[in-house]
Amino acid sequence: MTNSNDAAILKDLSDAVINTDKTLLETTIKNGLDAGIEPLEMIENGLSRGMQEVGMEFEMGRRFLPQLMMSANLMTDAVKELQEYMGNEKADKIGTIVLGVVEGDVHDIGKNIVKIFLSVNGFEVIDLGRDVLITTFITKAKEVNADIIATSALMTSTMVAQKSLEEMLKEQGLKNKYRTLIGGAPCTEHWAEKIGADAYAEDAASAYGKALELMNK
Amino acid sequence: MATTYHQRMGDARPVEMTKEEIIYDIDEGSKLAAEMGRIPELTDDEKDHLLDIFLIPDKMVSVSQENRVILSADVGGMGLFGNYGEYGGVGIPMDYTTANLVMERGFAADYHLVSNLNLMNKDLKPAATQLQQSLEDTLMRTISPVEPLIVPNLGNYYKPEGPYDNAGDLISNGEIEKGLAAYEDAMVAVEKDLLWSAQAVLDPIGTDGLNLDTTAAAGDGDFLATLKATEQIKKTTRLSAYIGMANEFVLGIHGGLEYNGERLAGQYPHEQVKSVAKAGADMFGCVVNIKTKKSTPWNLAKTVTLLKRCVEDADIPVHVNMGMGVGGIPMVEIPPIDAVTRCVKATVEMTGVDGI
Repeated sequence: MTNSNDAAILKDLSDAVINTDKTLLETTIKNGLDAGIEPLEMIENGLSRGMQEVGMEFEMGRRFLPQLMMSANLMTDAVKELQEYMGNEKADKIGTIVLGVVEGDVHDIGKNIVKIFLSVNGFEVIDLGRDVLITTFITKAKEVNADIIATSALMTSTMVAQKSLEEMLKEQGLKNKYRTLIGGAPCTEHWAEKIGADAYAEDAASAYGKALELMNK
Repeated sequence: MATTYHQRMGDARPVEMTKEEIIYDIDEGSKLAAEMGRIPELTDDEKDHLLDIFLIPDKMVSVSQENRVILSADVGGMGLFGNYGEYGGVGIPMDYTTANLVMERGFAADYHLVSNLNLMNKDLKPAATQLQQSLEDTLMRTISPVEPLIVPNLGNYYKPEGPYDNAGDLISNGEIEKGLAAYEDAMVAVEKDLLWSAQAVLDPIGTDGLNLDTTAAAGDGDFLATLKATEQIKKTTRLSAYIGMANEFVLGIHGGLEYNGERLAGQYPHEQVKSVAKAGADMFGCVVNIKTKKSTPWNLAKTVTLLKRCVEDADIPVHVNMGMGVGGIPMVEIPPIDAVTRCVKATVEMTGVDGI
């Protein structure tokens, strides 16, 4: 059970990520280790909660991309530091995701935000950029032994590439090897079901949750 | 068994909802909008009005006579002759001018938004004379005002399409300062090109104005460049200027940009409209996004809450963007008429909006 002192330390960790306060973060990590709080708990119930709050504020238009990235950088550094104290329980990466915007589509703002959310929460993200051929997604997924192929499309005229990806994966017998996650303004859960994608994420914050679900399938 | 009413989800799938479920969704949609925009929720009377609209059993509904508003046709007649484009279309073989005449005389559009087929401002240069020719044809034959549609789209100025490094890539890779610098450079180019399009292409051909559409799609810098360009367009041409948005709040790619002493990132429609009016624009296009996993009652309550406050705070006419994924309308290429007409009726009757 978490006592009040531990709870205060976890809240400080969360606040440090939210306010991008490096000094508070360094001090609180030291206090947490001195108090005997497990590093993994500090990550999950301190740093990650702060990042979740930052994500929610971003989705409401109250926090902006540079701030989001500063919080993400701070959290990444803190996780690295805490991992040194984790020994056998050291957190492995959750999985590998090949991410990109489909062929013919150059809208990549959302993709970049998804990348931040996934990376900071423990996924290794291979960012292929925008206007990416379907064959490139598959080739890269094979090369890095990816768990998930995540594609974004912002136009009705380009979202058909997500369907083509599903077809090509089936043709090559790879449908069960890689799970697929789709997103982008015109995409819907209905579209995901129709084309046979494994999951649909409505926004950047939910992309992380969906990716986690896919890893546990 | 409780009586249910035919409704739509945000992805257009049909759903049967009880009256209580509709009331709940209206409450929740309005509540979220109020929280997001830091504005009041709809009143109980307004929520009742919205509920009444959703309980009408008819497939189609309409506004009352005294509530009629101006109807514009986004991307003009492209929906008639287009087939392969982003906006779909029915692929009837006809030229742009004929399509616009059909929109005016057949579909009663009150004004037209003619564009180069790509819509993007940066791509207008190679198509400028072609657009001028289309515009001249349309202007000579139509009665209603013609306002060419141009998308500022700062993202189009990133490599490889443009000369600047991709600010989003740089920032998301941790190179924040470099990203912000690239972003600021691209803003200057967007402003310059918008001014050129207005001064060199549209004003000489005699259009009634220009429609700066999907503004701020690439964030606060996209918005600032458009506002600055609009100031100059209003000073140096006789064009009217319509600024329509891309999103319900201005995405903060930079986060530190201000206009008229106000930070642009995070501005909601009632704040956006003030910035737009200050720049000298004549009309504002309000956008409220939908959630595909929520019902149309939820999405429309959210739209009406934000739009109502926008119209109340506006000193210039406000048109609401209504189409797939905005204005409460489901995200699907050909939105169902039952949802579309309910969205129209509610926004017009409940917000005082000047046009659609």
